[in-house]
Amino acid sequence: MRSLSLYVKRNSLIHKIDPFTKIIYVFVSVISPFIMPTLIFSASLTLINLMLLLLAKVVKRVIPIISFVFIIILTIFVIQGMFYGANQTKLFTIFNLSFYVEGILYAAKISIRAINVLLAFSLLILTTPPAEMIESLVRRGMPAKLGYIMHSVLQIIPMMSSNASIIMDAQRARGMETEGSLWVRIKAFIPLIGPLVMSSLVNTHERSIALEVRGFSAATKKTFLHQEEVPGGMKQLRIFLLLFLAAVLVWRLTL
Amino acid sequence: MRNNQKKNLWSFNFSTMALVLIPVSIGINYVGKLFAQTLRLPLWLDSIGTILAGILAGPWIGAISGGINNVIYGLTISPVSFAYGITSVAIGITAGVMARMGFVKNMKRAVIMGVVIAVVSTIVSTPINIIFWGGQTGNIWGDALFGILRSANWPVWLASGLDELAVDLPDKIATTIIAYIIYKGLPKRITVLFEES
Repeated sequence: MRSLSLYVKRNSLIHKIDPFTKIIYVFVSVISPFIMPTLIFSASLTLINLMLLLLAKVVKRVIPIISFVFIIILTIFVIQGMFYGANQTKLFTIFNLSFYVEGILYAAKISIRAINVLLAFSLLILTTPPAEMIESLVRRGMPAKLGYIMHSVLQIIPMMSSNASIIMDAQRARGMETEGSLWVRIKAFIPLIGPLVMSSLVNTHERSIALEVRGFSAATKKTFLHQEEVPGGMKQLRIFLLLFLAAVLVWRLTL
Repeated sequence: MRNNQKKNLWSFNFSTMALVLIPVSIGINYVGKLFAQTLRLPLWLDSIGTILAGILAGPWIGAISGGINNVIYGLTISPVSFAYGITSVAIGITAGVMARMGFVKNMKRAVIMGVVIAVVSTIVSTPINIIFWGGQTGNIWGDALFGILRSANWPVWLASGLDELAVDLPDKIATTIIAYIIYKGLPKRITVLFEES
């Protein structure tokens, strides 16, 4: 069954690292610039992420993820450049609009930090199949039922979107208008989503019965189908990452 | 004995029913957004499922739906949505609590519920917007308002809050009304399956 995911299959060092270590890495890489909000620190972490993405051979796939926030970053530079509270030093003026150094630096700081978050998560998402990520979390104490829910979301979304296009075609065939004035389009919304919600909720009843007869709520300990493969040295890497985070925290507190 | 067993089975089924509702409600969120884009509506309409889950199965299921929704979105579409997971959780809880307080009885009350959800969502989102984006939301109209207010020297939190509210108010009211209409259209034999005792 088709599943929702951004995972890209490649043969790289990053792909071989186990999901849990990568999750710890993302956590450390995302949190650190918020603890220590300097431009140089965020920029170096961003650079590290970029190099790791290069190593994982998935840099091209990052572009659509980044372009998603390109417009907001552009407007941050415009708005903060003009109106940031601590603005003093004039940088340049176009069409009577003055831009200031402080605002541009502030905008650069939040933009780099946001891009760093995106790159760190991209590294995890692009190199790890979601199913493995969920399994790795269930192994470390996340409730199995929560794991099931997340798995089934990944499968239900492609299923529901294909049902959505079927309903769209059916309603159009019956003469419902989906183009035209705003009011016409608003009116089309309920006839589209109504049948989908109805059929999905009816399905939930059947699914819950199917799960129950397979012992979904049984209190016995569940076992795993696959064995987890963790490459050597990962424990040390995890400890190093957490020590790095602790060092950042100490650095911030003593500064 | 037979009666007792039947009762047990029902409560057994109930928790599984509620759990199975969560992926469906996340799917509804996704499809709501899809339809809104296809119909070129000027709204997101991406939390219909979370609100519906809150109405049908109570605040906890609403909260879990909202939280997992953003985790899955973050893992598959846009990592930014992780940060707004708390907002979705708050929306689910608010919908669940207000539904239990009787705000899904008629349309007038549903509109009030939409306003409250918009305000809650704004209060939770604004600090995230300030930490993450310096106060902007990424919506052109809201950010234009933010720029105007900032140029008039309004404090960041107020300008950012109004930026978010300008976007959230129409969206969440519309979303709640849609969830309400869907809920009212559901046959009793379905809604009763999710209801708490």
